[in-house]
Amino acid sequence: MSTQNNKLNIKTAKDIQDASLIIDADVVVIGSGAGGAINAYELAKQGKKVVVLEAGPYVPSSEFKEMMAVAMGSLYQDEGGQSNTHGDVTVLQGACVGGSTVVNAALCFRTPDYFLNLWKAEHGLVNLTPELMSGYFDKVEKNLSIEPNAKHETSIGANLILNGLNKLAIEPGVAKRNIRDCAMSGFCFSGCKTDRKQSMLVTYLPWACNHGAEIYADTRVIRINTANGQASGVQAEVVDPKTKVVKAQVTVNAPIVVLAAGPIQSPIILQKSGIANSSGQVGKNFACHPSLSVTAMFDKEVNDFHGATHSLYVDTHTLPEEGGYILLNAVQEPVEASFQAEPGTGKNYVAYMEKYRNSIRLITLVHDENVGEVRFKDGVKEILYEVDDHDFEAMKAGLKFNARILFASGASFLYLPTSDRTVINSVDEIDSVIDQLKNEPARYRYTSFHPQGTCRMGADPANSVVNPYGESHDVKKLYISDASLLPTSIGYNPSETVYALSSYIADEIIKANFS
Amino acid sequence: MKDLMISRRHFIKKTAMIAAAITALPVVNAVAGVLTDESRMDDLERAVFAKMLKIALPTEGSTLIDPATLPVLPTIEGALLAGMEPHIRQGLRGGINYFNEGAIKAFGDRFVNLSDVDAVRFVDQWSASAAPPERALSMGLKKLTVLAYWAIPNTWGPLGYDGPVSDKWNLPSLGNTPEPKI
Repeated sequence: MSTQNNKLNIKTAKDIQDASLIIDADVVVIGSGAGGAINAYELAKQGKKVVVLEAGPYVPSSEFKEMMAVAMGSLYQDEGGQSNTHGDVTVLQGACVGGSTVVNAALCFRTPDYFLNLWKAEHGLVNLTPELMSGYFDKVEKNLSIEPNAKHETSIGANLILNGLNKLAIEPGVAKRNIRDCAMSGFCFSGCKTDRKQSMLVTYLPWACNHGAEIYADTRVIRINTANGQASGVQAEVVDPKTKVVKAQVTVNAPIVVLAAGPIQSPIILQKSGIANSSGQVGKNFACHPSLSVTAMFDKEVNDFHGATHSLYVDTHTLPEEGGYILLNAVQEPVEASFQAEPGTGKNYVAYMEKYRNSIRLITLVHDENVGEVRFKDGVKEILYEVDDHDFEAMKAGLKFNARILFASGASFLYLPTSDRTVINSVDEIDSVIDQLKNEPARYRYTSFHPQGTCRMGADPANSVVNPYGESHDVKKLYISDASLLPTSIGYNPSETVYALSSYIADEIIKANFS
Repeated sequence: MKDLMISRRHFIKKTAMIAAAITALPVVNAVAGVLTDESRMDDLERAVFAKMLKIALPTEGSTLIDPATLPVLPTIEGALLAGMEPHIRQGLRGGINYFNEGAIKAFGDRFVNLSDVDAVRFVDQWSASAAPPERALSMGLKKLTVLAYWAIPNTWGPLGYDGPVSDKWNLPSLGNTPEPKI
């Protein structure tokens, strides 16, 4: 029965007084991001008692500061410092109630049929047909107000880039975003203070609570329990977010476990639990869409501070056969701008930052091979990932494409995001400068917002972790529902894929267990 | 000799990991953790960061705010080091020491003792180095220093950057979205 209070029913560490807590539920959901929230809502709506455990803190949107430096410390995994072992790919994920949906750019793409067909052919996902997925895309697009950007929903920098695209006769894409009445602040990555972005914090989580779901923030799952080959609940700890001291032990007894902690934490929880890995694939096949941002300097002030965080993309080369890269504009505040370009140390750096208001940037994001691994070793999380040589060539092609667009947009020169000063002064220099780049660790300033693939879905238990319906091959009634599932990277922002897949998995859970 | 080589390989591997950890150092945590004795800067770290701040942001003659007038080092310590995982914090200490000593080979003295001109040359040399740990350390320590500066809102005025806007623009919250009817 729905209460329609439409508010979060949430407890945080400061609400927990007892040293141990035992909760009985029908379903325990690990993680409150896209996968967790959607499952929590769909399953609670069936009248089931649902408990959601979120390792991150609860930060109400009214407390969002619209400053990346603050948001990183309060809303992101490892305070924004999560990276691969080389330290040259920053892997950004939300770690708060609402998960990455709170801090993503709200950019939405349907999974291309190309990948659905590939997954069918190579991973046996015959169920995920374009026709079936279309219904789920329709559903989540309606629920999350996923609409094409209106003409006014753009930014100064995006408009300059659009001029460049027009000059070069390159067809721009119009971004779709899960936004209602965008306020154009440009602070998507810091959390939407005025609740325009349709994150889980303001949609599926309160909706789940309308149907009795309970959310525990600051609550870190340490093990999934099993009995007789099937899931039976979880062990967790309530951790004071300030002192990191464990305040309480939590046991949730539940016959259905939905693991939706994200592509880094989900495999680690499985590894800590010692389950679901007869294939040896838990944590393997990690991909992350590494991206590099080219900074363009103009002779005039641009003031590309606000507007839609992303409003413009070009996907003419996105599919692997077409190049494997996508282009995205982005507004950027000074903290990010301060280390995303390398003008050299000292006076050159000061001169660069003095001209911050003359700068815009264009991101190249590549569809990458699933060459990485996430593992828990000696008590420490490790993301083993190096940009593949083939992917690096795609990146170089994307950087060249972007550089031409930026010069056509009026840029006077460009900074590449390298460890040492690399500048392109004219169109004529583009090829020679970029051709010299080598695929080396700690040479580039990669960012990734899209970890994927560490518990991949497939029909064959020998080479996948979950079956085509989201259930672990090894442990019955243990479902996984986040971007861990993706058998390959998809080259586009994966959020809508996760929204749709999670809706599908929730329906499969209902069909298998509640019908 | 064999032990020495093993030890050296171990050290280089460890240094690479430390450098990597530093490159990925988190952005300033304004909701800082508790600053413990273990996470506080020691004298060497304070000297290295002070030197890096001086050479990375020579604001004299520019429109930028002089970093000496801002609490940049306390921001590094209180907002960043305090929340750092212990193994990362331990690695940072080793990395800073390695970086400081690294200047001896090319410039004859530790980083903290170099002239500002040589210190800039050293940082740029390591940024362009063929050795990944050197690139990572140079890039990481500079990043850490400058982002602590730019995280202080007083620094934004000369850039023309206006910072947070929702309150300034009087934007109302739309609140939680109503549950779908079906």
